[in-house]
Amino acid sequence: MICENRCRCGYTGKIAGILLVVSLLMMGGLMTVHASDAKTITSKADLNSEDIRIGVGEGGFAEQTVEHEFPKAQRLYMSHIDGLQAVAQGKIDAFVFERNQLEYAIATGRTGVRLLDENMEEENHIAVGISPVSKIDHLEDKLNAFIDELKADGTLDEMHKRWVIKKDESFPDYSLPEHPEYHLTVGTTGIVPLFNYYKDNQLSGYDIELAYRFARWLNADLEFKVYDFKGIVPAAVSGDVDCIMAELNVTPERKESIPFSQDLFVEKVGIMVRDESAAAAGDGSFLDSIKESFDKNFIREERWRMFLDGILTTLLITVLSIVFGTLLGFAVFMLCRNGNPVANAITGVLNWLIRGMPLVVLLMILYYIIFGGMDISGVTVSVFAFTLTFGGAVYGLLKIGVGAVEAGQYEAAYALGYSRGRTFFRIILPQALPHVIEAYQGEVVTLVKATAIVGYIAVQDLTKAGDIVRGRTYEAFFPLIAITIIYFVLEGMLGFLVSRIRIRISSRLGRKEKILKGVRLHDPD
Amino acid sequence: MIRIEHLQKTYPGVTPLVDVNATIDDGNVIAVIGPSGTGKSTLLRCINLLERPSGGDIWLDETKITDPKCDMESVRRRIGMVFQSFNLFPHLTVIGNIMLAQVDILKRSRQEAYDRGMELLQMVGLSKKAYSYPEELSGGQKQRIAIARTLAMDPDVLLLDEPTSALDPTMVGEVQAVISELAKSGRTMMIVTHEMEFARAVANRVFYMDEGVIYEDGTPEEIFEDPKKELTRRFVRKLKVFEAVIEKRRHDFVEFGAQLDRYLQKNDAPPAVKYRIRLAIEELVQQILLPHYKEPFIRIRAAYEKQNRTCSLVVTYKGEPFDIGDTDNTLSLSILQSTSAELKYAFDEKEEEPNRVEILLGAPKV
Repeated sequence: MICENRCRCGYTGKIAGILLVVSLLMMGGLMTVHASDAKTITSKADLNSEDIRIGVGEGGFAEQTVEHEFPKAQRLYMSHIDGLQAVAQGKIDAFVFERNQLEYAIATGRTGVRLLDENMEEENHIAVGISPVSKIDHLEDKLNAFIDELKADGTLDEMHKRWVIKKDESFPDYSLPEHPEYHLTVGTTGIVPLFNYYKDNQLSGYDIELAYRFARWLNADLEFKVYDFKGIVPAAVSGDVDCIMAELNVTPERKESIPFSQDLFVEKVGIMVRDESAAAAGDGSFLDSIKESFDKNFIREERWRMFLDGILTTLLITVLSIVFGTLLGFAVFMLCRNGNPVANAITGVLNWLIRGMPLVVLLMILYYIIFGGMDISGVTVSVFAFTLTFGGAVYGLLKIGVGAVEAGQYEAAYALGYSRGRTFFRIILPQALPHVIEAYQGEVVTLVKATAIVGYIAVQDLTKAGDIVRGRTYEAFFPLIAITIIYFVLEGMLGFLVSRIRIRISSRLGRKEKILKGVRLHDPD
Repeated sequence: MIRIEHLQKTYPGVTPLVDVNATIDDGNVIAVIGPSGTGKSTLLRCINLLERPSGGDIWLDETKITDPKCDMESVRRRIGMVFQSFNLFPHLTVIGNIMLAQVDILKRSRQEAYDRGMELLQMVGLSKKAYSYPEELSGGQKQRIAIARTLAMDPDVLLLDEPTSALDPTMVGEVQAVISELAKSGRTMMIVTHEMEFARAVANRVFYMDEGVIYEDGTPEEIFEDPKKELTRRFVRKLKVFEAVIEKRRHDFVEFGAQLDRYLQKNDAPPAVKYRIRLAIEELVQQILLPHYKEPFIRIRAAYEKQNRTCSLVVTYKGEPFDIGDTDNTLSLSILQSTSAELKYAFDEKEEEPNRVEILLGAPKV
């Protein structure tokens, strides 16, 4: 009866989910309509007003310059991918970012937006961020010497011209030294076109070329680690990377955390606003635009490979965390079961800590602080973090399930001659599991979704893959819907596996009891 | 043979077992009786070590089972236990319940366990329920399965802890029948029970437990017919006579009725008798006597005679002489008269309660 109700809940849950998506889409439509009423912005003079919303890159340089020039306007923090989308949809009035990026976005097909002729007064200084705890001695001096050389022979200018002005996207062939003296780890983001981005599913761009040149200059082996903008400075602080080459803006706050090289170049900061005429006109038929988007997001440059890699990473983290988490939760439960006060106290505190902390915080603490100095991959740390949280959930479920079994069951088993251990495994556990297996299934689905945050620690999972593709195509709809559907499929698959287990452990679901297997039954008269 | 020496069990605040000594010979079928909270169940649970005794020793043949080094599991294998609340394993079918421990503990093959299980189900009359789950069974059926499950382990001693207390009155009989059958088989058994008729019929020895000890030990005849000691005598008399005192006009007659019912049930009185007694008391006490006395003191004694299914009701009360024949409430009086076979009033001022009404309620027609 209870089960039936729950199933029905699950079903209505799905319907509710569909309704929610539909209503969100409708709201998106309404917002677009609403936005067309907004005033047209033609110059910087229109922007310094209280009802103006300006998007700025998170923690970057744009934030301060906007604060100086448009003190009255509201500032919203977002990545440039989301920022361009938000401007086009009229959710914000302007987006302030590196001008060359904004130009590139328009050149590669971002529609519905327009660049103001004016720039921000202040210019953006771009430099290499340096880890204060790098294993390479005098890295700052070496980097500055290297940049001096590049500046002296005109290479740096040539690189900037080739990548940024001419937008020549072919990556030169650089070989790395055969007998490296050092190991150089470079942090980057992979979502800044022309600087560090995925071209044909390979990291490419100005920063990447710079990294290769520096590695050769230094006689070093080269490794890239891909972070979110929010995570990249902490990665240098903790020594996860030796330096950051990610079109990094020099800001006073960042300078407090890590040293910077001399400026590589200075660039203008542009202002993107909504293009009313283009938005109103629309372009081509609906079907054509869908075809175009599909082609752009999945087929071109074989971008579906990014999604596929992301799926595999997400699955790897999820499945390993489920397996280890289940084992961990079970092991901890067994230790605490007999009421050992030490085990219980430790478990209580840890469980309280882990379950009370936002997962993303736990993940970053593990990655940057606890395993900060160690050479451990983000996937390993992710599995570790999710093993802890999933283990905590399993421990809680076992407590509930085992607690639901009456004391009389233990007594009956003891009276029949079962030892404590065998009583637990033969009598108690088989009764406890059916109580909680459905909740366990829910935890699995929660875990699949929760893994979407591993992008914070340089793991390219499914969500991160969607971000990277969005960074290239400036589209929100297709990549986001695609990863949503993929998450549903993953959750469905894992849920199905757990429901198979559910049938195995519950003899009531139409399975003959194991104990009667192979027994010659005589019909009762 | 089980030997119990100076057995003591203390919980924080209570000591149910003070000093228990007994020798239980093979073939003894012992009914353990006594008021609630006198350690009857605790004694049983100490014998199969579900409770660790606080002091004293228990021997099972030559094994001192209270020795910490003693292998508890092997002791429990030899002592079967049937619980008040059945404790069947709800995730297993009936036959699964009976087979599991045979396979796990006695290492019987599944076929042997199944055959033995079906044989026992036949014995308790439930072979048709072999593939049902416990929740599909009635209480009586569950307890018969629990007995079969315990017997499947071939225990030397069988302990039954209030096996029928959790059952509907209609189901007590079927379980008692199975236990009576077992008692005839010569197996050593100890049964804690509140069903005195059953205790008397099934046991060949009775322990009356009170004040944390085995207060009196004897044959059923000795204990029930001719108890030697004061507390036993009082307990046995209470079994036979129901007594209650009413000192307020607004007496709690719901609780009164419940106590009377319990007494009648213990004495196997049929429902027809129960309704007659209740009717007689209602008319006499609530309708006639209570309206008459402002400050009543009424003592009611009821005794049911099982042999001829009659019930005698003696109601004595303080205050001025009041013959119920003189009451204004003629309706109640006529109901009372038509219910009772005999109705007598007497006044004796030497008595504490000088007024005395004696009523004999005849056997209900079958």
